[in-house]
Amino acid sequence: MEQWRPLGRLWRFNQRVSRWRAARAIKEALRIAYPFVLVMTAIDVIGQSFLASNGFFFQIYHVGDWLPGLELWQQLIQVASTVINGVVAVIIAFTTGRYLAKTYRGDGQAIGVMSALAFLTLNVNYDALEQVNRTTGEGMSKFMEPNLGPQGIFLGIVVGLCVGWFATHLMQWLTRWQLKHPRYQLSWTGRVAWPLTVVLIVTIGIGYGLSWLTAGGLNGLVYQGLSELVANPGHRGFVILGVTVLNNLLWWLGLIGPVSLAGNSAVTSLQNLAYAVQHGSGWGAPNPVTLHTLGDAYANFGGAGMTLALLIAIWIGSRQVSYRRIANQTFLPNLVNLNEPTLLGLPLLYNPILLIPFIEAPAVNVVVAWSAITLKLVPPIVYPVPSTTPGPLIAYVGTGGDWRALALSLVCLGISVLVYLPFVRLLNDQGGANHGA
Amino acid sequence: MGHKWWHWVLGVVVILAVFVPSTAWMRQRTTHYRTQYKTALNPTIMVPGSSASQNRFDALIKELRKETKVRHSVLKVQVETNGHVTYTGSIRQGDNHPFIVIAFDNNQDGVTNINKQAKWLNIAFKDLVKTYHFNHFSAMGHSNGGLILSLFLEKYFGETQHVSIDRLMTIATPYNMESDSTTQQTTMLKELIAGRQKLPKKLTVYSVAGTENYSSDGTVPANSVNQGKYVFQNQVAHYTQITVTGDETSHSDLPQNKQIVLLIRQYLLQENLPADQRQQNQQAKRRALNGEATQP
Repeated sequence: MEQWRPLGRLWRFNQRVSRWRAARAIKEALRIAYPFVLVMTAIDVIGQSFLASNGFFFQIYHVGDWLPGLELWQQLIQVASTVINGVVAVIIAFTTGRYLAKTYRGDGQAIGVMSALAFLTLNVNYDALEQVNRTTGEGMSKFMEPNLGPQGIFLGIVVGLCVGWFATHLMQWLTRWQLKHPRYQLSWTGRVAWPLTVVLIVTIGIGYGLSWLTAGGLNGLVYQGLSELVANPGHRGFVILGVTVLNNLLWWLGLIGPVSLAGNSAVTSLQNLAYAVQHGSGWGAPNPVTLHTLGDAYANFGGAGMTLALLIAIWIGSRQVSYRRIANQTFLPNLVNLNEPTLLGLPLLYNPILLIPFIEAPAVNVVVAWSAITLKLVPPIVYPVPSTTPGPLIAYVGTGGDWRALALSLVCLGISVLVYLPFVRLLNDQGGANHGA
Repeated sequence: MGHKWWHWVLGVVVILAVFVPSTAWMRQRTTHYRTQYKTALNPTIMVPGSSASQNRFDALIKELRKETKVRHSVLKVQVETNGHVTYTGSIRQGDNHPFIVIAFDNNQDGVTNINKQAKWLNIAFKDLVKTYHFNHFSAMGHSNGGLILSLFLEKYFGETQHVSIDRLMTIATPYNMESDSTTQQTTMLKELIAGRQKLPKKLTVYSVAGTENYSSDGTVPANSVNQGKYVFQNQVAHYTQITVTGDETSHSDLPQNKQIVLLIRQYLLQENLPADQRQQNQQAKRRALNGEATQP
């Protein structure tokens, strides 16, 4: 196939990367986690957009008025969501460690379990331990639960890779040592127990050391730093653009959600709302250019990276059966801005080819929206928008029904599809059995 | 080929099924925001009674500041007879619950003067809304200040769109002027009753009376304060009468009376009082309702 040269180079780079052991392990780990995440997200779609009182569909269809036993439904959904959503990062740590061990012909299951345990030791709530000593141990959770969910995926992968590599080599070294010293016979139990002990000593040491630094574990440390870096970019368009790029890069790495559609309650958004309420519209609002009015409104369709556009690009241009299947399966979650299954399923995380449009599409949209608002072609969004609002409707709803904003949203969606399309076509050439759904 | 167009039709139907209800919902929400939206700034407007200056409430404010952790800033407004407004003090940046004391150059007693003062109050009020952009507030009036506020609410408040009053507390306000009668209505009371339909329907009113003996706080007859029910009852959302007795219950002492300071904090400023102080207020209210006198 005739290719534009930079794309050809990118393609060769992708081929080289995908031969790396770590890259294969990550891809495999994500592939195994995908069905679990898909089910979890399906539950979240129902829970967050249809049953939660601040959900988009809950509000537009007035679900609270006609659904009997609403509270019961909410609780049942919450149970299901807690179970799967709550431990997805543990699953990833297990699968990464297991697959990496298998590539070294090590004991996959044992090392997978080791990785999961190592990941858990890094997320123990040390505050709760003190609590247990002092009182009856009630109250606080023993784990930092948020870190075990989607936002722990990055750490899960890192721990899986480290433990997978380290423990496999330790086990193999033990085997070799045993061959040299036949006098000391070590059973299978011993060959698992000793590396496990070493791994746990190391990770508990790290975890305990970190507990002096931060209350949120290793994950907390990363998130704390990043949130402070990106949370409040102010009014300057370039800074907002930079934050959007950085944020999407972090998502690509599996650091999910330092910045999310939470701008409704920011001070600037409240000032805008106050202005709109008093003047009838968002024209002339005090803060027309913020991360909320640009990023949340025009560069977040489907979630980070405009993944809704990616799905449309796949429908238009992909010949990969697995891609088309995943696009169909994850369309509904993307419609309400829950794109984790798309990121894990394709997989988009750690995919060098899709990284470029994943960052480029939102960045282009921020620039387009910034220009349109600065040139006063559209008013900024001023009314609070439920986070599960379908992407192309966010600006329309947020401006109180401005048609120009809706048109701009559709333009942004179109641009993003065009940005994704060449890269999706490039991936058509990727063959083999190492992906699928 | 046949099933292709079927997909398109389904797509259009789904888009309409999301788009149409969301538009309807959005219109409902924007109207809701417009009508329900409350600014963070929520001042308390205080109007002193006749012959009292803009410094009338200094003792009360000092007392309130001593008790509460929030340091309310104070803006004092003086309206001259020609309608010119002068400001002393300021609303501190970030203080969402400031006190605004509005006083008048001509602070004389009498029906015509009180009517004029209500008009001047309106001038100051409009100026404040224009400057500070608040859309709801509470008010407190001592003695004739309560009459000025009541007249203002009936006659002029409707002129200012999009601003609502949450709570009004009047302290020893003689709705029937100096009259001790329960049957004779003075011009003032007649005027207030005639205009009562125009009172804001969502308003909550507390009328506090002080009594040194069984009939008066030394200046205002208890019966005159009680006549307030003919103005507010069945017109506003809630109307509560509270009688305070004991030390410092003479007419001019009332605003800084410890019991009344507590009532202001709980009902007007809606602070979270400690349980024991809240209980004290409950007892006062219950005694008032039962017609008993509080032990000094």
